[in-house]
Amino acid sequence: MKRRTALKSLALVLGGTLSLPAWANAWNADTLSGNLNQLVSPDQQALLAEIVETIIPATNTPGAKDLGVHRFILTMLADCYEKSAQNRFVEGLTELDETVKAHYGKSFVTCSPAQRLEILKAREEAAKILPPEKEPFFPFLKNITIQGYLNSEYVMREVYKYELVPGRYNGCFPVTASAKK
Amino acid sequence: MANLNTDSIKNRTYDAIVIGSGISGGWAAKELTGKGLKTLVLERGRDVKHVTDYPTTFKNPWEFEHRGQVPLEITKANPIISRCYAFREDAMHFFVKDQEHPYVQEKPFDWIRGYQVGGKSLLWARHTQRWSDFDFEGPARDGFAVDWPIRYKDIAPWYSYVEKFAGISGNKDGLPELPDGDFLPPLELNCVEKYFKEQVKSKYSDRHVIISRCAHLTEPQAIHHQQGRGKCQNRVLCQRGCPYGGYFSSNASTLPWAAKTGNLTMRPQAMVQSIIYDDQKGKATGVRIIDAITKEAIEFYAPVIFVNAAAINTNLILLNSTSSRFPNGLGNDSGVLGKYVAFHNYRARVSGSYDGFLDTTTDGRRPTSGYIPRFRNVFKQETDFLRGYAAGFSANRGQYQSRTGLGAELKENLLIPKLGNWNVGSHMMGETIPKETNTLSLDPTLKDEWGIPQLRFNIGYDDNDEKMVKDYLEQISDMFTKAGFKNITASDSKQAPGLDIHEMGGARMGKDPKTSILNGWNQMHACKNVFVTDGACMTSTATQNPSLTYMALTARAADYAVKELKKRNI
Repeated sequence: MKRRTALKSLALVLGGTLSLPAWANAWNADTLSGNLNQLVSPDQQALLAEIVETIIPATNTPGAKDLGVHRFILTMLADCYEKSAQNRFVEGLTELDETVKAHYGKSFVTCSPAQRLEILKAREEAAKILPPEKEPFFPFLKNITIQGYLNSEYVMREVYKYELVPGRYNGCFPVTASAKK
Repeated sequence: MANLNTDSIKNRTYDAIVIGSGISGGWAAKELTGKGLKTLVLERGRDVKHVTDYPTTFKNPWEFEHRGQVPLEITKANPIISRCYAFREDAMHFFVKDQEHPYVQEKPFDWIRGYQVGGKSLLWARHTQRWSDFDFEGPARDGFAVDWPIRYKDIAPWYSYVEKFAGISGNKDGLPELPDGDFLPPLELNCVEKYFKEQVKSKYSDRHVIISRCAHLTEPQAIHHQQGRGKCQNRVLCQRGCPYGGYFSSNASTLPWAAKTGNLTMRPQAMVQSIIYDDQKGKATGVRIIDAITKEAIEFYAPVIFVNAAAINTNLILLNSTSSRFPNGLGNDSGVLGKYVAFHNYRARVSGSYDGFLDTTTDGRRPTSGYIPRFRNVFKQETDFLRGYAAGFSANRGQYQSRTGLGAELKENLLIPKLGNWNVGSHMMGETIPKETNTLSLDPTLKDEWGIPQLRFNIGYDDNDEKMVKDYLEQISDMFTKAGFKNITASDSKQAPGLDIHEMGGARMGKDPKTSILNGWNQMHACKNVFVTDGACMTSTATQNPSLTYMALTARAADYAVKELKKRNI
């Protein structure tokens, strides 16, 4: 409603025609950086997809894999992190899968969803008691997965109701009304 | 051949030249074209057309590949600009990259620049407070710098004039230290900010918390609709350029207005090398530029020249405009050009939290904040430092999610936002004392890509600034404590000057040609057809965000200049 009002007001300003230029087209998961494969192999990319899906699975709403969170992580790593952080991450990924193979006799991606969750839960428990320098991988993985998930279009738009054009500010808004939104 | 040459000169001759298209240059262009002068605006950067050249303005957060973060390769190559709060993925195309425009730091100075049509008016924080006589009388009362050649009464009608056109929202607070203006309806203080306002009022007789006056169209008037501007939509994505023209920028307002007169010629990619002075005529005759792309040198001519290149580059141009009459820079008989440079001290912050008003939050977004006008040394000297500071103040309700668990449990937690306590925060905007030793000068050998000398910065803090930081941290912490705020943290970032983006002075106004560059009309004492109306003209800095004062000074100077032209005095 508010957005429509705002768009109408924009149309007014622009002289009645509302056509958006080409650059206004939305970014989507397929247009992400081409650098992805420079960091990891296709197999590792598939592994990461299953890991983020285990951390935030599809339920009655999409999970991290469907939202492309693994691709987001690889884009961020490639473009916004030091080489050392990139190496730590790729090593962590490799090491995780090797450990899984040793314990389960198969790779993470062929484990059942219950096994995958068990593996990551054990990993998180271990991370809690280890000093950060001994376990730099898992806490980073979990945080950046959450970052990608919370900043995905789905969560921002559908859950958190992000508004590009609020058209208002209410400085004393009742919390109950806020919760209802 | 001779005819060709004459024609060529004629084609490069205008009634007025304005150097720079930022906040003050845009105003000079509007006023001069509006008074019928064929005006050439020289802009060193590329063209940026309103709306069509705001490539990120309609993007949602998830449409940015790095969700707003600037890639490491860029921040590593550009450490200075990367320290600016607004240098993010959505607006980084409006900032100058360090590598492209080098300068020499004798002392650290973070020089934040936006080289394009509209300059930094696209990027500014849009706070617009008037000065009062407590500011204009400051240097004379407290014995620093030189006396301002003007007082509040000289500029007050011009504040009204620019406020009405630009569209300034604000509340009439009736404070002598921060005069009311011609305001559109104010934005709103939230519950906790209102609470703090009342607490401060009841505990201090001389301290006030108000909603900041700001250049947002809260209720556009006919004059704004005529500019093609609409109501502010509370997007708070201003740094991307506003498709509604909801905030004031040269691009949305003054430049298209000037273009409509038919008297405006915009010349982007024109790096000004110097102003041409004619010894025989005893005045400036034009401007020499280097085309940013072709590197060709071209001269343009006009009987009156407005210098609005932004404070620091205006100093560069004037210092580089040498002639036998002015061997040390245009209009620099006094030797003060490039000296007495000052800025605002933004080093200090105080933050805290409040556990009241837990049944309320905020809804929507607000493009400004609360404001605490200067309360130190206003009516009389009362501390061991000179002058004082204004402060920003705002409160917002934190939102967080539990990050416990993995799998469906974690997901459930992430999907239920929780409200935290209210966070409160304040930042300092301190007046700094202009000093002869705070200087800008030309490097004798280093030049930029266009053969223009590089600037050397020798600008730093002094003991007065250190005392003021300490006082701000104590006083604001005290005010927070008295209001019942908790977890109070006072911090001094020790950041270098520059990040305030409020650099001023170097070509200051004054009554005496022996100690100043400009007179009370922003006119050069020694070269009457050159006017400087950007931050370089400032005799002192006060504590207010300076852009509104540049706008008012520019409109006033343009009015005077055209009258003088008509009287053939210049």
